[in-house]
Order: sequence, then C-alpha cells, then structure tokens
Amino acid sequence: MRKTIFGALLASASFVSTAFAADLTIGVSIPAADHGWTSGVVFHANRIAEEVMGSYDDVEVIVKTSPDPASQANALQDLEIQGIDALVILPTDPDALVNAIMEVKSKGTFVALVDRAPSNNDDSVRDLYVAGNNYGLGEAAGEYIAENNPDAKVVVIRGMPIPIDQERQDGFDAGIEGSNVEVLDRQFGNWNRDDAFRVMQDYLTKFDDIDVVWCQDDDMAVGVLQAIEQSQRDDIQYVIGGAGSKDMIKMVMDGDPMMPVDVLYPPAMVGTAIEMTVAGLMGQLPVAGVYTIDATLVTPENAEEYYFPDSPF
Amino acid sequence: MSTQTSPLTSIRRTLSSVDMRAVAPFIALIVLIIAGAMVNPRFVGLDNLANVATRCAFIATIAVGATFVISSGDLDLSVGSMVAFVASVMILFMNTQVFASPLMMVLTAVLLAMALGALCGLFNGVLTTKGQLEPFIVTLGTMGIFRGLTTWLSQGGAITLQAQEQQALYREVYFGRFFGVPWPILITLAVALLGSLLMYRTRFGRHVVAVGSNREVARHSGINVSRVRLYAFMIQGLTVAVAVILYVPRLGSTSSTTGTMWELQAITAVVIGGTALKGGSGRVWGSIAGAFILELVGNIMLLSNFISEYLLLAIQGTIIILAMLVQRSLTRRA
Amino acid sequence: MSAIGDQGPVPILAARGVSKSFGEVPVLFSVDLEILPGEVHALMGENGAGKSTLVKILSGFEQPTAGQILLDGNAVNLPGNGHSERLGIALIHQELNLAEHLTVTESLFLGREITKFGFLDRPAMRKVARDALDELGTDIHVDALISDLSLADKQMVEIAKAISRNARVVFMDEPTAVLSEGETDRLFAQVRRLRAEGTSFVFVSHKLGEVMALSDRVTVLRDGQWIKTDLTRNLTADRIAQLMVGRELSDLYPVKHEPDVDAEEVLTVENLSTGFVKDASFTLQRGEILGFSGLIGSGRTELMEAIAGLRKYHSGSVTVNGTPLPSANMAATREAGVAYMTKDRKGRGLLVGERIRPNLTLQTLDLHERWGMISGTSEAKALKRANRRFDIRVRDPRVMVSQMSGGNQQKLLLAKIMELAPGILIVDEPTRGIDVGTKQQIYQFLSVLAREGHAVIVVSSEMPEIIGLSTRVAVMREGRIMGMLTGDGIQENNIMRLASGLRVAA
Repeated sequence: MRKTIFGALLASASFVSTAFAADLTIGVSIPAADHGWTSGVVFHANRIAEEVMGSYDDVEVIVKTSPDPASQANALQDLEIQGIDALVILPTDPDALVNAIMEVKSKGTFVALVDRAPSNNDDSVRDLYVAGNNYGLGEAAGEYIAENNPDAKVVVIRGMPIPIDQERQDGFDAGIEGSNVEVLDRQFGNWNRDDAFRVMQDYLTKFDDIDVVWCQDDDMAVGVLQAIEQSQRDDIQYVIGGAGSKDMIKMVMDGDPMMPVDVLYPPAMVGTAIEMTVAGLMGQLPVAGVYTIDATLVTPENAEEYYFPDSPF
Repeated sequence: MSTQTSPLTSIRRTLSSVDMRAVAPFIALIVLIIAGAMVNPRFVGLDNLANVATRCAFIATIAVGATFVISSGDLDLSVGSMVAFVASVMILFMNTQVFASPLMMVLTAVLLAMALGALCGLFNGVLTTKGQLEPFIVTLGTMGIFRGLTTWLSQGGAITLQAQEQQALYREVYFGRFFGVPWPILITLAVALLGSLLMYRTRFGRHVVAVGSNREVARHSGINVSRVRLYAFMIQGLTVAVAVILYVPRLGSTSSTTGTMWELQAITAVVIGGTALKGGSGRVWGSIAGAFILELVGNIMLLSNFISEYLLLAIQGTIIILAMLVQRSLTRRA
Repeated sequence: MSAIGDQGPVPILAARGVSKSFGEVPVLFSVDLEILPGEVHALMGENGAGKSTLVKILSGFEQPTAGQILLDGNAVNLPGNGHSERLGIALIHQELNLAEHLTVTESLFLGREITKFGFLDRPAMRKVARDALDELGTDIHVDALISDLSLADKQMVEIAKAISRNARVVFMDEPTAVLSEGETDRLFAQVRRLRAEGTSFVFVSHKLGEVMALSDRVTVLRDGQWIKTDLTRNLTADRIAQLMVGRELSDLYPVKHEPDVDAEEVLTVENLSTGFVKDASFTLQRGEILGFSGLIGSGRTELMEAIAGLRKYHSGSVTVNGTPLPSANMAATREAGVAYMTKDRKGRGLLVGERIRPNLTLQTLDLHERWGMISGTSEAKALKRANRRFDIRVRDPRVMVSQMSGGNQQKLLLAKIMELAPGILIVDEPTRGIDVGTKQQIYQFLSVLAREGHAVIVVSSEMPEIIGLSTRVAVMREGRIMGMLTGDGIQENNIMRLASGLRVAA
C-alpha cells in the first residue's frame, strides 16, 4: 500500500523534473562537527553532495549543520521554506526532533532518516531509514576474536551508558558465545582517548595476562595503544576498535599486528542515504523501508576501499 | 585556675599548633592509599602509583595555577578549553616543520605553547580587571571561545602530530624517566615547588592572599589589586601551557573533546587541597595532593572487583564529599 | 559580693561564679553579675578584660566553662544562637548583625514574620515597624535597604528590633561608638523611657561620660576578674578609670607642644576637590598635630584618602616638601613619606583571617626581600621591634587578628602604618572602640612622634581627643573646611558651631 503511494509520488516527482529540467532540491540536515565521528559525517555529506550535483545538473543538494536540537529544528524550517523535495536528516537528538521531522513529511516531502532513530521509528516519521549496525559492530568483533583466539582473555572498554553502547555489548556477547573467550572486565572510557588511556593503564595493573582489547571505537583505540606501548607488555596480541577512522584503517592497511581488523560504523552512511534518496527521486529504483549499513569487517585486503585520507576522521 | 602543663596538654598544644587545614589533605591521601591497598594489593605497586601520579600531572599542574587564581578571589573556568586550544596550536605548528631539526621544532613549540598560554591568561585577566566583569562570566565566555577555536582548527576531528622524528623525540617527555622517576612527576613537583616559593616566599604571593582575603585592605596597603589579579590569571595560563607540554607527547594528538571538564577537576583539586573558594588562603602542595586524590579514587574503583562500573561516578562523588567532611571536622577541632 | 545585697528585688538575670576558657586560655575567672529589673548597668573594663565574653555568656551566645546563669532566680541553660530572645534576652552586637540586602521591615521581623493565610502580611509588618521606629524618634524609611543605611541608622534598627521583641534585658556592646551626639541623646532618651517601663539594660562602653550620665550601677572587670560593682553615684569617672586600669591614671593627654614658629611647611593642600570635598586648603608644619573635626559624613575621610593617594581628586593640588603629588598614586605618596591609617580597622586596615606578622609587613614587603624572596628573619626582627614599640599584647604570636582585642588590633594597625616610616602621618579615628589604657598609649605615641619632628593629622569624632591633642583644629562640614581654630580658640562650643554651620570662622 505504502509503496504504491510512494510510487505515485515518485512518478509525479520525475514528471516535474523532466518538465522543468532542473528542479530537484534535497535538503541535508546533520549535526555540527563536534567530535571525530560527526566531523566525518560533515565531510562525507559535503563530498557526496558535490558528487551528486556534479553528475546531475538538475539536482541541488543543500547541506546544513546544527550544533543542537533547537537549532536543527530551525534549520528544518529554513530548508522547508527553500522548497525541498526530499530531506536527509541525521538528527542530533531524534526524540526531540521527531515532531519537526513529521511536520516536514506531512507536506509530502520525502524523508530519509540516518543513524539515530526516534522511539516511534515507523513510516509516519520517515520513508527511508539508513542505519548503522551497532549490534553488528559488536558481533563482528566478537566473532573475529572467537574464531582467531577461541581461548582469549579479553578486556572491554565501553563508551557511555546509553542504548547504542548496550546494543554493541549485546552483539559482542552473542559473537563470542560458544567459545572459551573470557571477558575479564568492562569499564567506561566515554569514547574519549584520554579516559581510554587511563582505563587501559589500570587494566594493565589489574591483570597479568590480557590477550585482546576490544574498545569498539577508534578514538579510544588511540589511548589504548599508547598505554600498551608504554607498559612494554607483550601479552596483548591485538586491539579491535570500531567506526573506521582513517588512522586506524591505515594501520589495518599497513598490516600492523596490533590492529589486524577494524569494524565499520562509517560516517559515510550519510552519503549512502543521499545517494539512495537521489536514486529514488530520479526513479532509478524504488527506495523505502529500513536499510542497514553492514558492520563490515575491514581487513588488510579490503581496507583501501574504506580509506579517505582527506577526511578529518 | 592555674595553667600547669601536663604531658597530655603539651601534646595537645603541639597538635593544635599544626595547621590542620594544611595537613588534612595529606591525611586523606594516606587514608585513601591504605584503603586502596586493602582493595587490591597491586594498588600499592610502584608501577601503579607511578602511573597514577603521572596521569594526574596535567590536573596537578593546572591546579597549581588555579590555586593562585582562587586565592586571589577569582575563578577560571576556561582552563580545560585552554588546554585543547594551546595543544592544537602547538601540534599544528609542529606539523609545519619549518625547521629541519626535530629538536629545534620541539623546543620552539614548547616556547610557543608557553607564550600562548600566558596570552590566554592575560586575555582572561584583562577582561576581568580592566573590563570589570565577573570572572565567572568572563571565563565561561572564554571557555566557549577556546573550545570553539579548537573545534574550528580541527574541523571537528583530531589534530595529530605527523612528524615521526618529533614524535619519537618528544615522546620521552611523557613516557621517559629520570633516575627511574617519570618526567611528568618531576615536572609537576618542579612546578609545585616554584609555585610554593612564589606563594609563600615572595611579595607577590603575600599580595595574592591579601587581595583574595580583602580587596579593600589590599588597596589601602598600596597593593595594585588589578595587577595582582592579572598576574594570577597569567600564571594560570602558564601552568596550563606546562600541562599541554606534558599532554601532547602522550597521545600526540588532540580533538575537540580534549580537556573537557578539566576545569572542574582542577577546581575540585584546589578545594580538596584546603584552599578556600572565596579566596584568601593558598595551599599549593594541598592542591597537588587534591589532584592525586582525585586520580587515585578512579584508580581504586577500577582495580576493585566488586564495584559496578555503573556506580563509579556516584562513588567518586561520595568519596570527594567524605574527604571534605573529614577535612572540615579536623579544621574545626584545631 | 555585690554592692546591693541579697535583700531587694530578685535579679532578672544573674551570673554566679561564671568562668570561661577558650581552649587553654582562660578569659573569665568566677565572675558574679546581677541585673536588676529596670536598671541600666554599665559593664566597664579595658579591652581584653572579658566584658564581651561575659555579655555573650549572659545572652546565650557562649556557654560558661563553670558557674551558673540564673533567670528570675532559677538556674538555666541559655539556648545558643540568639534563641534566648524568646526568654526576653536581646544582644545588640558590636558588629551589627543585620543582613545587608533586607529592608528595614524585613530585618525587624526576621524569623517571626506576620502572616495572613500563610502569606506575608506586608502592610501589617510595615505599620508595626513604623511604630517601633517612631517610638525611637527616628525617621528611617521602613522599606529602605539595610545596606543603604548609615551605621547610626543600622544601630537604631537593631535597637528597634530588640524593643519590638519585648526584650526584658537588652545587652548593648558599644552602642554609641558610631553614633553622633544627637543620635546618642535620642538613644539615651529611649533607654531611660524603657527603663521606666521596667526593661533592664546592660551596656558596654568606653565613654566614661556616657556611663556617668546614664547608668544606675557600674561593674568593673579587669583581666577576666570581677573588681567592683557599685552605684554610679558613689563613683567618679576618674575612680572608674582607675579601677579599670588598676593604677592611677595620670592625665589622659600628654602635654601639648606647639611647633616652632618657623618650622617648615611639609604639606600644602590647595583648593582640593573630589566628588564630595570642595575647595579644601590647609597647610601642615613639621612637629605639629593638626586635628580634623566635624560630624560623621562631613568629608574628612574622603579628603584624607585623596591626600594619601587612595582616591582621585579632580582639581587642586597636594604638595609635600615642595613636590606636587599626583592624584591617586599610592606609590608616589609613599615615596613622599605620607601614610594614612584608616578608621575601618577590620574592613580596610587588617587582614583579620591572617596572623600578626603578615599584617605588619604587608605594606612594606619590599624592605624584607633578599634576592626576590621574603626573609623570615628580617620580618621577625620587624615584629619584635613593633611589639616593643607598640606594646602589642597577645598570648600567642600565632593568633589570628580576628581573635585579638580591639585595642591590640589598633596598635597593630598603627605599627603596620609606622613600618612605612612616614614623615607625615594621618590617623583617622585612631582610638575608636578601644580602652582607656590603650588610648593613652596611642596619644602618647602621637605626641612623641610630633616632638621628634614628624607632622601628624588626627581625624576624630571624639571632641575631647581633638581638643586634648591638637595644636590647631580644622573643622569640616558637608565637604568644606569651615574654619581653623588655634590656641585658646580650640573649644568644644567653637568646634560645634563650625561643624553645625552656625558660624563661619574668619
């Protein structure tokens, strides 16, 4: 049912675009670059926006960044006034912005939601949902360890006590299930390299024998690696981070033994959402529902594909 | 009513002649170390204690500067952002590699950081004294400014030291040891020693305390109140620079989240150390003890096997309040 | 023990063998005191004699170490923190105890607000406040902020507060120290009226004249010991002073020395104007003590602060030994040898939370520096010298200034200023709130200083002090110098007429 309506909408959109030869406007609303991952989001949004405008003369992509939910709500209004046909949004706080998004959608605008979803994440809010796979991120790391070191003693550094973090932990636990992998300890590192350094130092004091560190975030991996290097301990075989920052991808690419793999939670997913939206509006393929970005395991073999040396992240 | 001195009263008299306020933080420190040893015997290992002391070097150094600002009756909330800003500029400069020699680069970068730190402090000080604004508001503003500039410089991402030779050379400042003692500990002690000489043995130090305890008395005593406050802010900036010089070699990288909440940690360390928030008493060594206590609490929590990671913050808060209560009761008795 | 024996009325409040020690330091030794209904009882003694402590014990702010308190003949334990007010005992503190940001009405009703349906009944409270203030004959506005009131008005509010709470015994610690004569008279009239209605007053004062005029009985303490209680009419001012000091008091003021006729002019002030002070001109000679008299708020302090470099002046000039002084430049004034001693000992003079030594040397730390570091030995020498010269008496040199008696604080302040070794010394209210013995020491010191060839300006609101010390007297009124009195012209009525604007001197 929904697809039919959507198809009709698509048809009319493409009709408009052929009739007036120019006008498909896509608004992109994303958080301001306040830490590594969001700065990657900003980078990739702009990168894809330019690519899209380069390949289609009649498509315009407007990227707006906002530091907090209130200013993002204002940004949505501004975009609406400029007359957008589609909105790609990565909300700073999904539940705070759900009404503003629904308002846009009620005008008939195509809405693609990225990464962060409100609690009522259904088709009343968005047409398309492009999500990273937090569960998968944990699971991929867990499976890798279970497969390569089935008897490993692992220390875990968590992020912050929020749902995303919990999903990753659940995924990890599922990944190691059935193996002899033992989790020695889990502590919070606040997705911050200084805190991760501190936690890792204390782990090294507390445990004589650690095989693997899973810190599920590339920023924290920086602090973890320094702490290990300082201790001159050789019992730790490797560290698994997550997200796909250029520095860590580079290490994987170079075959660094301490960083054999990385798990993607790519800020580039915003670009994917923009591309899918354009494709959908152009009528190239039907686009709707939920699209989950794979938590791809980055290995030395495929690392080059995910390496963006110009990105700030 | 004769005042014969029994041995007991003479002991009590010696005790009461010791300034409990000055000693209390060190007593708290000892209690904490004993508690830590009971939680996990590895806690008292030299390596662990050296780790913790090295880690608290940043906050401890900043706290020495904060002791001056708070003693003179002001407050600086911008230090955390200042760390991020100065560190970012320092790394960006090192990445330019304008000099061929890595040693030359590192030395110039160190000088640059000192100058920039002093300048940031001067900025805070001028706005507070010449602008006659509340230090709380001024430094809340500059906290945003320094943080924003850092985010802009890094475009939201990380700023990482690229030159491997510089990194290899400079790394020693954090990870190296001198006669077995890590450099950051030595540098922190040196900063504290300088700070205590300045606070207790110079005219300026006396003036800081006078300005902090009563500005009118200070003015009537011919003290240039504005200048003393300004210098205190600059000293704060310089200690931030020293913290940066220790911080950069550790990870060789900064981001817009570097140094967040450090201002609160520094202020907490100063207060635990026995300096009154309303000004007028400076305890340089107390602040060092305070910074060490803060870091120890986290360390003990992590080394324990029975405390849920979810409760860490709550227990940390409780211990800080307990430490203050113990200190207060000791002070009252004296 | 006391002059009035056990027969007679039952005392409202009495101390029996009350002793008090602070830590190891005893301050009261088994003291007796009886307060009879409807009497004004003066409590006399030098600073440090234990008066304030006794008053605090009798009003519940301190607990005695030994001995008993009797209320209406029954032993009681007085509740602390001002809760004795409920028993009819009120204490008006020396440092007035009002919250600066409240209005007069709010202060009067603090803690016992009148409410109506659970809300504050402001009109009712204002009316009661107005009545209470009217009774005292003062026109303070009931909505004025305490911080905007003069010290005298604050005192009146404190008294109104005590009266409006139906106090049976009112303790007043130096109530007139900050009051003008007119205000003192009004206060005393109220005290007499309330005494007739049966309220008892205990007041601590250093002003013997007031004690003789107002009190019914006098109790003298010395060094924490009870010395004597007697009817005032059996005593003379001299006798009380003797009992307080424990020795014969020779003449309070030293012999005056006129400066040489051709003594050089060390200070010349010409047409000096600040915000409030207008066109002030005068000269000061070497070896002279020049008095500055006038009502409170006549601009004397402002003028002296301008001369001392603490305050800007817009026009006019200050010349010291032929060199003009820049405006608001304390370094230059110090260089020129001018020093000013503030009248606000605790607010502007001393760091009360510090010990003696840092206070003594605060203004002259540069003299104690060796290679940029303060030399403890040099400071210790200065402290020893100052102790000898100014007779600062403390049991332990490490006490904080806040724990020292007013007299010792004042001597320390003087010592601190004299560390500057000034050629021209300006002292503002040099003996406010201190005991007779210390006063005499300070007068003696100023006199010697002048005889040694220094020049001294004494600003004081105490008429006898001005008359007793000065060889010339300038009188100010509303920011202007109204006249200069010399020789036999230095008399109370001449000063009063100039100060109140009844006469303009030639």
